[in-house]
Amino acid sequence: MTLARADRPQRSPAASRATATATAADAGDARRRRLRGRLTSWAFVAPLIVYLAAFYLYPLYRNLDLSLHHYTVRSFVDGDAPFSGLDNFRQVLDDPTFWPALRNTMVFTLVSIALQYGAGLGLAVFFNRRFRLSGLLRALFLIPWLLPLIVSSSTWAWMLNSESGVVNYGLHLIGVAPVDWLTSPGWALNSVILANIWIGIPFNLVILHSGLQNIPGELYEAAALDGAGAWQQFRRITFPLLRPVSAIVLLLGFVYTLKVFDLIWIMTKGGPGDSSNTLATWSYRLGFGSLLPQFGPGAAVGNILILIALVFGLLYIRVQRRQEA
Amino acid sequence: MRHLPRTLLAVALAGTTLAAVAACSSGSGSAATAGSGSGAGGTYTFWDPYPQFDTDSNWGRTVTACGTAAGVTVKRTGMDTTDLGNKALLAAQQGNDPDIMLVDNPVVSTLVQAGILNKTSDLALDTTAIQKNVIGAGVVDGSAYVVPIGANTLALYYNKNVLKAAGVDPASIKDWASLTAALQKVKAAGKKGITFSAIGTEEGSFQFLPWFWGAGGDLTKLDDANAVAALTLWKSWVSQGLAPNDVLQNTQTTSWQEFATGDYAFGENGTWQLGNAAKAGFPYGVISIPGRNGGSAPAPTGGEFVTVPVQKDSSRYATDKKIVECLISARNLLATDTTLSYVAPTSAVQTQQVQANPALGPWVAAVAAARGRTSGGLGTKYPVISQQLWTAVQSALSGGQSPQAALGAAQQAVANHQG
Amino acid sequence: MTTPARRSTGTTVIGLVLTALMLFPVYWMLNVSLTPQQDMRRTPPDLFPLHPTFAGYQAVLQDQLPYLLTSLLIGLGTVALTLLISAPAGYALAKLRPRGGGALSIVLLVAQMIPGIVMAMGFYGIFLDLGLMNTWWGLIVADSTIAVPFGVMIFIAFMSGIPDELTAAAKVDGAGTFRTFWSVILPVSRNALVTVSLFGFLWAWSDFVFANTLDSGGDWRPITLGIYRYIGNNNQEWNAIMATAVVASVPAALLLVLAQRYVAAGVTAGAVKD
Repeated sequence: MTLARADRPQRSPAASRATATATAADAGDARRRRLRGRLTSWAFVAPLIVYLAAFYLYPLYRNLDLSLHHYTVRSFVDGDAPFSGLDNFRQVLDDPTFWPALRNTMVFTLVSIALQYGAGLGLAVFFNRRFRLSGLLRALFLIPWLLPLIVSSSTWAWMLNSESGVVNYGLHLIGVAPVDWLTSPGWALNSVILANIWIGIPFNLVILHSGLQNIPGELYEAAALDGAGAWQQFRRITFPLLRPVSAIVLLLGFVYTLKVFDLIWIMTKGGPGDSSNTLATWSYRLGFGSLLPQFGPGAAVGNILILIALVFGLLYIRVQRRQEA
Repeated sequence: MRHLPRTLLAVALAGTTLAAVAACSSGSGSAATAGSGSGAGGTYTFWDPYPQFDTDSNWGRTVTACGTAAGVTVKRTGMDTTDLGNKALLAAQQGNDPDIMLVDNPVVSTLVQAGILNKTSDLALDTTAIQKNVIGAGVVDGSAYVVPIGANTLALYYNKNVLKAAGVDPASIKDWASLTAALQKVKAAGKKGITFSAIGTEEGSFQFLPWFWGAGGDLTKLDDANAVAALTLWKSWVSQGLAPNDVLQNTQTTSWQEFATGDYAFGENGTWQLGNAAKAGFPYGVISIPGRNGGSAPAPTGGEFVTVPVQKDSSRYATDKKIVECLISARNLLATDTTLSYVAPTSAVQTQQVQANPALGPWVAAVAAARGRTSGGLGTKYPVISQQLWTAVQSALSGGQSPQAALGAAQQAVANHQG
Repeated sequence: MTTPARRSTGTTVIGLVLTALMLFPVYWMLNVSLTPQQDMRRTPPDLFPLHPTFAGYQAVLQDQLPYLLTSLLIGLGTVALTLLISAPAGYALAKLRPRGGGALSIVLLVAQMIPGIVMAMGFYGIFLDLGLMNTWWGLIVADSTIAVPFGVMIFIAFMSGIPDELTAAAKVDGAGTFRTFWSVILPVSRNALVTVSLFGFLWAWSDFVFANTLDSGGDWRPITLGIYRYIGNNNQEWNAIMATAVVASVPAALLLVLAQRYVAAGVTAGAVKD
């Protein structure tokens, strides 16, 4: 779908119509039409390009610039930091925090999106059935998104508090010993993953649900007439037709989860030690976590994250293209 | 040619979008010029870490009045203390720093390093009446860059009911051993021992320092035996259940909330909680944090400083000076420090404060004995050391590493950083 | 016909249980917002606000109402700007397929990876130069940067699912590209429009980093900055913070329910047919 298709040098509908009539009209006219088609399409994209250039190029350049210079607070203010090549990257890669942070990032991201997507898809299918209050309940599912992250993350941190948290109280009621959710190196990462899944479910639910609604109801009716059960319908109709939307949800989910930092920062600050430190929190910790900011290494970690997203994006496009070919 | 107008329409659509964006950008704001207006009259910008006070609060009114007295309008913005430091750097980079800025004291060395702040001597501000140790955190390489607005420090609040029920006399607590013994008695009596904040931020280091210094620790030698002794003390409290496990997450506020439940015998907290202590609903007392082998441990000074950031237009300094002098006049200091529940930085105002509120007495003594975090020539080395220190505290208390190993790693990391 | 009705009731019950599970943290937040300061760390915690304090709400209702209005304005402005830029672009990339569209998609992906704080730092410089600091419209522009790449990608995903026959038919009827976009593509993409609007709004509503960096001194500040009033240097008033979040989410929640109604009503399953 989508990314790959847009990439394919395929003719626009306008252009293909032009080709079809080319036998009758002269070739120059066809070329002019094709040119016009291209111009039209660029006219549609132009605002976006201008927008991207205006608002993203500079921050991107800035992030790169920060990671390639040896910045101190002094030179940050004066803007005369010496160029240091890849020193910041080398420093970051040699840091004992790097590998645990990379591992945590991967675990955090993959587990989060797998479970968010699973729960989101299940709920989307569930809410796609017409029943009383379904619209209202679906809207209520979005409430977690309304809360500023500082509030929802703090609420989770309170619930998971090892002394007075409601979760441990619940465990106590059913006779389970309290767990140090956020303060033991073994649990901290799991706990932030749990909270992140909770926050991510509405996103998956809404988009997948919209996708489901674009699937014509007649297909299900026909399948039901053919005697297909609910599972068969899901496997043969829902899942394949939802593929483009699923793919985009997963890709966006990947990108968003990769950069999650406020949630982890508020809940554990990446700790205890480095046990829930991801590349995103580490980047923040380096850049802004102490009173003396280390902008260079912080930006270097940020750029490594961008690189990871880029690799996955390219991989995704490749897979898509192979599937379409 | 039938399609052409539509193509144009599409282009026009694109055009309007741009025009809309352009229109947005041409509307000029006032902030860009705020930092560089001309001398007398006009608007002076003022940043402080007190977002909780709005324009109508006592503090807001004091600031406005000081501006009016100097013949200018002061535009005050309050923001979270961490953001304030970052934003000051960002603003300085763009040449847009405020005229006057109140900052938390450990940030000062960083801002001085960045070349943002003016020396008080260059502004001819008189700071002779101010206690030396309080201004100490704002002295870098022998020059003062700040005027304290108020000071605070840490001590141990205790719950009289809990101690009485456990049969502990607060006067018997002289050193670590007697404190630990008291905690054990409290625990045996079914109550909880002590709560503090060991969170992985500056707050965690701030709270650990009295124990670290009380053991004779030296911030340039994080891994020596004294430092290990201090961390071992905290570690043993947590592992014996004398302190709760969530100290690792506690900010000073949440630690206070734990103490305020009435279940805890002791809470390590600051001067600013005095107001809340009166509302807690149980009788409380305050003792200074004991040193390892007796005596009071040096606690770190806290509190905010008034600073005057460097301006392109040096004619503004005369007015800045008037505003600062107004803010630190005895009358305003008294009002401000009463609002914030801080100890004033001059002994004259301290005397007035204690007269008005005798509960402040022990805190005045504690502030007099307190030590600046960046003092002793540490300057910008402190932020690096502090970050490693709180990391070590976190690793040790969570059971990730032994105190010895955690502090060893911290010292190593500091050494690497300073290369 | 009693069976479907009973089944529907059963489904509703399951739905209610799932929603309750999902919203428990929100309930907890509500509970905390009503808890007096000294009871906040009680063990065991109070499951219900037995001794509710309305101090938090009192403070919030006194101080925060103007902020709510600003947030609403910024949210709606962000949605408008986002749709204006991303819908045409999504259409072009999905259907007109200009050369270089793939590269553009990659740029969109990378754009979303730039950490918010770095974006904010970049904007800080740009906004100072353009005089956009501390203005609500500046904040709309900044907030839209979270939603635009998302919007474009969602529009591409949804619009590429629209059968080419539909646009071809419009062409035969003599509609130009813009007309096709306006009267054929957009109505069919209602779900995508609502989805993008919803998230655009929510992001703008809950944005904190941009608001804090770019608008903290403005006269028109959003509700997320209102929370700051309760985060002092040494003291955080959690019941007021939570109360702000509750008060802030009520109008937005109402809006969501309305939007959902609209989507449910607007589902014209027949429009897209193969």
